[in-house]
Amino acid sequence: MSDDLVLELKKLIIETLKLEEFTPEDIEDDGQLFGDGLGLDSIDALGVVVALGKNYGVVIPDSEEGERVFRSVNTLAQFGSE
Amino acid sequence: MKYDETELRVRFNEVDSWGMVWHGHYITWFEVGRMALLGKFQLLPKDFARMGYIAPVVDLKCVFKEPAHLDEEILIRTTVLKPTKAALTFRFQVQRKSDGKLLASGEETQVLLTLDGRMLYIIPQDLREKFQPLFDYLEEPDSAA
Repeated sequence: MSDDLVLELKKLIIETLKLEEFTPEDIEDDGQLFGDGLGLDSIDALGVVVALGKNYGVVIPDSEEGERVFRSVNTLAQFGSE
Repeated sequence: MKYDETELRVRFNEVDSWGMVWHGHYITWFEVGRMALLGKFQLLPKDFARMGYIAPVVDLKCVFKEPAHLDEEILIRTTVLKPTKAALTFRFQVQRKSDGKLLASGEETQVLLTLDGRMLYIIPQDLREKFQPLFDYLEEPDSAA
């Protein structure tokens, strides 16, 4: 997976969720996105899923799959590049 | 976009000591409008549950414009936005029936979960088909427009 994709995904998360206090550098590649990490929840994920579908054509059907994919930006990038 | 209309008369238990409807009751009225609309299309919570889904509310807001008073007849106007994600967003308008004055407006979003707690990120085909008559109805011209 490319660094460009990781950076793009960080920007997409920040823009989609209007996390204006964050920059891409604040999000660790392997850091948790949910809970203690970035603090996202399943409703935030719903918004990101729509943006991912529009930008990358990926389909994440539900939160069960979402928990696996949204573990970190790296797992998201891995899923996006599959 | 069409709004579905439900009539209601302000009841004694809904007014505060100032003689105005207490703000929390508008949320109940939204629910009255939502159930009236969804009931027309067999989309009530029990119908969702029968299909294996629930739809909890995750966001709700209300803007208050003018007070309603005891015994006034009101119209609760309800519509649903065509979904762009796996969520249903309802819009509400509460009007005084006598002069059409807008008393309050609001918006509410519900997400879709399976009965075992999985949140859906894509509306499944069976629900899409079930929603279609509702959205066909809401695409009709609004009588108040």
